[in-house]
This record gives sequence, C-alpha cells and structure tokens, in this order.
Amino acid sequence: MKNKFLAIAILFLTATAMQAQIDRSTQPEAGPAPEINLDKPDSFTLKNGLKVMVVENHKLPRVSMVLTMDNPPHAEGEKTGIAQLMGSMLGEGTKDIPKDKYNEEIDYLGARVNMHASGATANTLSKYFPRVMELMAKGALNPNFTQEEFQKKKERILEGIKASEKDVAQNARRISQALSYGKDHPYGEFMTTESVENLTLEDVKNYYQSYYVPQNAYLVVIGDVKTKEVKKLAKKHFSDWKQKQLPANNLPKVNNVAQTQVNFVDFPNAVQSEVQVTNTIQLKKSDPDYFAVLLANKILGGGGEARLFLNLREDKGYTYGAYSSTGDDKYAARFVASASVRNAVTDSAVVAFLDELHRIRNEKVSAEELANAKAKYTGDFVLALERPSTIAQYALNIETDNLPEDFYQTYLKKINAVTAEEIQAAAKKYYLADNARIVVVGKGSEVAEKLETLTYNGKQIPVKYFDKNADPIEKPNYNKKVAADMTAEKVFNKYIAAIGGEEAVKDVESVYMTAQAEMQGQKLDLSSKVTASGKSLTEIGMGGNVIQKQVFNGTEGFVVARGQKVPFTEEQIAAAKADSHPFPELKAENATLDGIETVNEQEAYVVKMDEATTNYYNTETGLKVQSVKTVKQGPQTMTVPTTYSNYQEVEGVKFPFEISQKMGPMSIDFEVSEIQVNNNVSEADFQ
Amino acid sequence: MTNKIKLAASALFLCFAGTAQEVEFTEYTLDNGLDVILHQDNSAPVVTTSVMYHVGAKNEDPERTGFAHFFEHLLFEGTENIGKGEWFKIVSSNGGSNNANTTDDRTYYYEIFPSNQLELGLWMESERMMHPIIDQKGVDTQNEVVKEEKRLRVDNAPYGNILAEVKKRLYTKHPYRWATIGSMEHLDAATLEEFRAFNDKYYVPNNATLVVAGDIDIAETKKMISDYFGPIEKGEPVEQINIQEAPITEEIRGTYHDPNIQIPAIVMAYRTPSMKERDAYVLDMISAVLSDGKSSRLYKKLVDDQKQALQIGAFNIAQEDYGQYVVFGLPMGETSLDTLVSEVDEEIKKLQTELISQREYDKLQNQFENRFVNSNSSVAGIASSLATYQMLYGDTDLINEEIEIYRSITREDIKRVANKYLNPNQRLVLEYLPKKDSEEVN
Repeated sequence: MKNKFLAIAILFLTATAMQAQIDRSTQPEAGPAPEINLDKPDSFTLKNGLKVMVVENHKLPRVSMVLTMDNPPHAEGEKTGIAQLMGSMLGEGTKDIPKDKYNEEIDYLGARVNMHASGATANTLSKYFPRVMELMAKGALNPNFTQEEFQKKKERILEGIKASEKDVAQNARRISQALSYGKDHPYGEFMTTESVENLTLEDVKNYYQSYYVPQNAYLVVIGDVKTKEVKKLAKKHFSDWKQKQLPANNLPKVNNVAQTQVNFVDFPNAVQSEVQVTNTIQLKKSDPDYFAVLLANKILGGGGEARLFLNLREDKGYTYGAYSSTGDDKYAARFVASASVRNAVTDSAVVAFLDELHRIRNEKVSAEELANAKAKYTGDFVLALERPSTIAQYALNIETDNLPEDFYQTYLKKINAVTAEEIQAAAKKYYLADNARIVVVGKGSEVAEKLETLTYNGKQIPVKYFDKNADPIEKPNYNKKVAADMTAEKVFNKYIAAIGGEEAVKDVESVYMTAQAEMQGQKLDLSSKVTASGKSLTEIGMGGNVIQKQVFNGTEGFVVARGQKVPFTEEQIAAAKADSHPFPELKAENATLDGIETVNEQEAYVVKMDEATTNYYNTETGLKVQSVKTVKQGPQTMTVPTTYSNYQEVEGVKFPFEISQKMGPMSIDFEVSEIQVNNNVSEADFQ
Repeated sequence: MTNKIKLAASALFLCFAGTAQEVEFTEYTLDNGLDVILHQDNSAPVVTTSVMYHVGAKNEDPERTGFAHFFEHLLFEGTENIGKGEWFKIVSSNGGSNNANTTDDRTYYYEIFPSNQLELGLWMESERMMHPIIDQKGVDTQNEVVKEEKRLRVDNAPYGNILAEVKKRLYTKHPYRWATIGSMEHLDAATLEEFRAFNDKYYVPNNATLVVAGDIDIAETKKMISDYFGPIEKGEPVEQINIQEAPITEEIRGTYHDPNIQIPAIVMAYRTPSMKERDAYVLDMISAVLSDGKSSRLYKKLVDDQKQALQIGAFNIAQEDYGQYVVFGLPMGETSLDTLVSEVDEEIKKLQTELISQREYDKLQNQFENRFVNSNSSVAGIASSLATYQMLYGDTDLINEEIEIYRSITREDIKRVANKYLNPNQRLVLEYLPKKDSEEVN
C-alpha cells in the first residue's frame, strides 16, 4: 500500500516536472494520427428506391445537394455521345418554367445548380433550400427536351470534337483508354462526329427514359437542414420519379497484354510525344492492399516530390511534369504513368518510366520516402475534408462501394500502418512492368524509328501501330522518299510559281497585312509590315490598344511590351534577318530538303530554312502550308507551328488569308482582313 | 459607435438565431497579455495556428517605411531552436502549409496542419514570438528578397502603383500615406539595432492575438498554449497611433505615369470612415451595386451596353483608421478618361437621388449573405476572421453577427451614404497614364 502511494507520488512528481519544463529545443512529436469525426448521415429510402442521406451540419447557413445514379456502366455503342448530349440538355428550364426564368431565379437566389447525365449538384443558402431543391428536382425530373436546344447542344458537342481533333494530349487519353479497355467497353468507347451526327431528339428522350431512374440513385444533402424537413421535401419532389427496369447489359472482359509493348499512334502535328505506360487493374476501395496502393502511387508519381517527377523533369529535363495515377473502381480500373515529352527524347523517356516501375517493384521504398508520403497524404486528405463535397462523396462511397461504416474514420490510421514491404507487394501486383502498354502518341516521322530499336534489359520491346480510332494497322511508312532529283531550290521555285510567278513576286517591295483573331473572348488585332529590303514591323493589339510591338530595321530591332522597350538579342537579330522578307524563300541560302511529311492530311516537302525554322510546302500545289519555329524561353525550348491556308490573290500574288498559330495548348486563328502590296509602308515604320 | 452597433446587432441576432451561423469560440488573455481565441470544430482533422500582431505599415517611422512588411519576411529566418532555412521544411514534411501577410494595420502568420501536429504549430509560433534570430545575415538575405518582391509585384506589375498613388494623395498626415511595401532606401539605411528595437517593441505577446482553430480539445490546447506561450516575456505597452486628417473639401487632381501599361486608367478615390463604422458597411454594398457581377450597374452600362470600358470596378478598401473607396476604369478604344468620369458620376448621382429597386436590394442581400457564409467555410478563413474581428474591430462576436449589420442596411441608407461620402468635392481624380517610350529611354 505504502509502495503504491510512493509510486503514484513519483509518477506525479515526474509528470509535473515534465509539464513545467517543456523541451523547446527539439521539435515536438506528432500526436497519434487523428481520427476523423465524419458526420454520419441519417438516411431513408423512398418507395421508388431513391436513398436519401442527410448530414446535418449547422455551422454555416448553407446546404449542398448531390444526386447520383449508381447504375452499372453500359456501352452506348453506335450512339456513343448520347449520355453527354442528354446531360447537357438538363437544367435548361423545365416543362413548366422557361429556360431564362429558371436560370434567372437561380442567380437571384445566389444558388448554383448543375446537371449531368447521371445526376445533379446544387448549393444554396439554407433559407432558399426548399426552393432550390424544388428547382433541382424539376430540372432533373421534368426536363424540357426541345428540338431547338437539342440542335444547339449537339452542335456544341460536334464543335468540341472538331476543336480537339488535333489536340494530341486529349487524343492520347482517348486512344489509351480505348486500347486498354477495348472499344466495346463503356470505359473504352468514344464518340465520333459520325456517332453524334446520327443522334436524334428521340434518342435523347429514349435514353433519358431508360437510364434516368431512381432505383440505384442517392441524394445526399449536407448542411444547415433538418432531416425531417428534407424527408418532407424529398417525398414531395422525388416521389413521382418512377422505377424502370434498366436495359440488359453485359460488360466485356478486360485484359492486359502478354508482353510489354509500345502502341504507337501517329499525329504528324505533334511537337511533343504523349507517353502513357498503362495496365488495367482490379482494385476496390475495400481491398486490403488499397492503402498500400495509395502510398505506392504517391511515392511513384503522386506529385512534384515523387519519383517520376524527380527523374523525368528535375534530373533529365524531358518534360514539364511526369505523374502516375492508380484508379479504383467496382468494374475495372487502370494504372497510368504519363508525361508529355520532347520528340527527341521519346525513347529515353520510355526507358526512364520502365526504370521507375521496376525500381518500385524490386526495391523497398526508403523510410524517409514512406514518412514523407504519409505526412503529405495525411495533409492532403485532411484538408480536403473541409469541403462539404468531400463529405458527400465519402458518404456515397460507403454506400456504393460497400465499405465498412468506419472506413473513412479510420482512414489515416490505415495509411499510417502501411509498411515498405506492403508497398512493394502492391507495386508488384498492380504496376505490371512486364505486361504494360506503352501508348505513345506523337510524330511518326521523328520518333517511330527510334522506338523500333528500343530495348530494355537486353530485350526488344515490340512496337504495334494503331490509327486514330485505336484500330491496329500495318507499320506505316512515315518517311516518304523524296524523288532523287528534288532539291530545296526546286521546292522554292514551285512555291513561287504557285503564288504568281517570279515576275509578279519580284515587283513586291512591301506587304502590309492586317488580321484579327479571337482569344478567350478577347479580340486580337495583328498588323505586320515587311519589306523586300529586310525590314519588319509587327503589332499586336487588344481593344484598340497596342499590347506588343516588334520592330526590325534590317540591322537591329526591339520589342515593346507593357511599356518596356527591350532590344533584340543576337539570336533575335539573326532570326529577324532570315525572316524579314515578304518571301524569305527568295533569300534563303542554306536551306535543305529534309523529306516528305503529312501536314493537315496532305503531303508536304519539309525544308529546313535554318537552325530555328522549318517550312512545309504542299507537294501538289506547291503552296507553303506550315512553318515551325523553335523558340527558346529561358531553359525551355518551345516549338511554335504556324499554318497557312485559304490563299487569295492580291495584285497578282497569292497570300494566305488564314493564319493559325499554336502555342502550347492554345491555338490562335487569325483571319486576314486586308493585304496591301507596295502601299502604306514607309521608313518611319521601322524606327 | 462600435458598442452601439453591437447592441443593435445582438438584438437582431436573437430574432435570426434560427438561421444564423454558429461559430463558437473561447476567448481569454494570458498573464503576459497575449489574447487567445480558440475555435473548436472537429468535423475535419485540420488545425490552424495563427498569430496576428497589431503592427502594420501605419506603425512605422516615416523615415523607416517598409519595416512591418520586412518583418513578415525576417521572422521566417529562424529562431533559437529552429535553424536558418528549416521553417518551410518542417512545415511541408509534416503535411502542412503556411504563409504570412502584412497590411497597413497588422501582420498575420499562420500554419495549417493535420490536427495531430497542433503542438508543432504552437511550438513554431511561440518560437517566433519568444526568440527569433535577427542578425545581419538574415537582414541581408531578406533585403534582397523584399527588393525582388517589390520589382515583381509593384514596379513591374501593370497598374501596380495605383493604391500607393491614391493613398499618397488622400492622406497628408496619417501614415496610410505611404505604401505597405515601403521605401527600399529606408530599408537599406536601417541598422540591425533598429530592426531589433522594432521587434522588441511590437512583436510581443501583449500586442498579439493567437488563434487556434479546428480539430482541437479545448482543455488540452489551453495547456499547450500556456506551456509554449506562457514563458514569453511581456513587452512594453504598445500605443496605437491617433492621427486625424482634415476633411477633403475640394477635388484633388493628379496624374501618374506607369511604364508597365499601354492603356490608361482613370481612378476616382474617396476617403471614407474606419471599417468599424456602419457607413463603411454601406459603402461595401454600394460597391456591389455598382460593380459586383455582370448585372451590376457600372459593368452593365459601361462594359456591356455602351462598350466604353474594358474594365470597371468599385472597391471599398476598409481599414482600421480610414478607408478608401476607389472606382477604377480602363477605357475602351477612343473613349476618353473624362467620359468615364462623367459616366460614373451619372451612376453615383442616381444612387444619391433614387432608391435602388427592391429586387436589386434583395439580390444584394443574397449576395452578401452568400459572401459572408462562404468566407467562413474553411477553418483557416475562420481563424483569420476571428483574429481580425478581435484585434481590429474590437468585437470578436462579429464573426457571427456581422451579417446583421448588412441586413440592417436599408435602401435609404445606401442613398444617404452615397450623398455623404461620394461627392466630387470629396475626392481624388487620378489619371493613371502609360509612360511614353521617349520619357523612358532617358
């Protein structure tokens, strides 16, 4: 007894001693991983099967709603695009509220309502919750599918397909999905101009009737509401939603390749190669190794501190960024490691990707990497929890993925319990370095040859070729042979003849061109003056004001932007000298004919004008169709292609009236409004 | 005045209690004078630890401007127990993020961590308050950093000098007349002793408010706070300045040439009361009527309908001692600056003579309520609001009650306040013009 007292006394003493003097000299240890106090939803199910989950949170007087239909994925087949088209037509008024009135009321209430093919979301102040829920329900359940709206939305989708036809990155994602899952799988199919063209208003109505059903649907309501009130309102607005049997549906089986291989797709306009190293996986959130996979991905390619980024960007400088993602899904998912890399290093980048896949499979991650990944994961996870949309998503996941009730409560504990061994095991299981597709979408004439000779660990990696529709093709010949007697000079002569002949061209002393383009809603004005004596002036204006001006007087030049005048560098002077002529071909000295490539689906001679510029001339018409410049910006080298089309005659010489320039993902399309030959240009322009 | 508002607001608050937000907080003061505010919200395991010091550009010696902002940088250099360059590493390798900012009135530092790192956040902020290392090496490093920041954010930024040029002309005596970033000559001339003295004077517990918000246990947190912050010595009492400006009675005209722009701008600025006054809230609403959203009056008229302006905005910049109400416009094409002035005047005249419509008023109320609600949607946002209300407004309850002030504003108030503050003889008209090439070459 006495001893016990003493023990307690000592314990007490040491405890107080420790309290009185915290040790400031070292960084405090982290407490135990926090448990997450996720508000648990009250839930009830309407007779039609709609499950409503309510998370009361009265901290802020606002409410958010998420309606989701968890129908099994289904292929749209020859009507691919129907879901997107139908979804875009929802929320544009209802049968009893005209579109303008519907949208104005939502604005006035300060609310937000968005709809898509498999659900809807809405946010509002709690005092307008009843009305906003009503507006959302009406928009979703009583849509007004009109021919006019159908036409508008369909055109917008077609416009989108057209706009992205040449977008290499977007096509790479589409093709890579199609190759991985197969084109008949809902996750692999993609819409085309033809599939969308064929859709009718009737298709939209039918699709809505078939798939917009309540039996697999969830409505999550979070915020300053009372469950009782939600129940009353949900019954009122959603009870008339009728159950209907979903159309029968079989999911095709998803496979991986027997041997790691390159799947190559040619995009002649590509200035970078899109590389995706990918395999399909079966991974559900409820799988025991789910948390190990999350950390494996974080360490491999989960951000700017991960291995892929450090290797491909920081160490080798192949790309702006390299990342990986490991999906999870009830039906099928993918692992993808990807980057956009310079053409010249495409093959080396593939090797670097494979190196990292093998490394994370073959070696345990270091203790430091593991600790940092856990800390970062904890931080990211925790900060995301502040958003009501995250809470809604988690409540939904527990339902739709059949997760234990405490899945997210204990999430961080499970993350923190993961060991380096478990990460290695997960990497071995899910990152199939020996059964991966290496999808490369890029410029065949520059990268295909090198990929053909690619070996890894002494083994040849086979290359298979596909077209833009992800269908297999024979290996194309990317480098068309140029007739032996063809030279750069002859290409130039053909071009000059095509635009009006030597006589006409010789009379051109100056060209004054004005053109307009639209960029992100802003009007851009371009005007340029260039003389046969080697001088040039370019002005770019916006809203009537000049925002950039470049002047070159034959020997020196400068740029004015933001009120600052910066003289040309030596490189800029050299470039301006080569360029400043209405027809630089007439004074090119060291041009070489490099071959034949495809530009905008037509064959063109490739002529290298100098180190920085390559021009392309249509083999049939002789016209110049493209000019590609290499521009240095700091440490990065950018490739800027400009295409020329719609040649029209002015004073006996043909000039392109459509000029389109691509800078990174942005494309600026100029339409020429006027060209004046030997007029309105004076010496004063170049001072 | 403030107390009166509070009373009125509390009375109203009771009526609206059913729908208002409830940000609960605990407020107390340590023996060394440190004000502490705790806000517990266990819905997400996030914790923000932040310290607001009641020192900003307005506390500077007129011959040593830029000190407050300089300290924002200097106090990341390290402490007796946190090595030079270690601060940011500690934060990121523990899953956190951090930053700081300075205004004319106060300086604010914060970290956001997963809540099991609460002690770490408290340790770091208490280290900064207790014994930061202020040495010549740190001063030299940050001197370069601050100069680079000034080049980037002010000197090379188009329209980057507008606020400085406005304040210079609106104030003759009050320290609001100089820019927060201050003068580089002053910083170059300052001695290490001066920096140390500034630290000893202002960065003391009795001039600071500590906010801990998020997933915390109140009792445990109080204990940690007393462990880490309790031993910090109290400083001398800090006296805030009290400098009155004479009213502006004649329009002030000015021009400024900015080398970074091509399109001139017109700026109309009015000196307005302290942000604690109810009229400052009315001015917020006026600026929303004029330029918040595409259906606002100035935007609709000048940008949409008449296409006279590329951009138009009205901002009420409220501060502790005074505020600035600034209307800013970029003309479109051939439109002259004078045209913009008269078009804006026409709209202000309308506000002074006619009540806004009921539908406009209702929409305004919805906008402000949304803004208010969403400003408190993150724990970090709440922490910053709590510190601001406590330190600058002297009324922490505003975190829940401020909306009532907006709700109490009537259409008549809007008309009255437009008449009281927004008259041509009370303002500055600043022509903010591009600097010509020729002027720049020499």
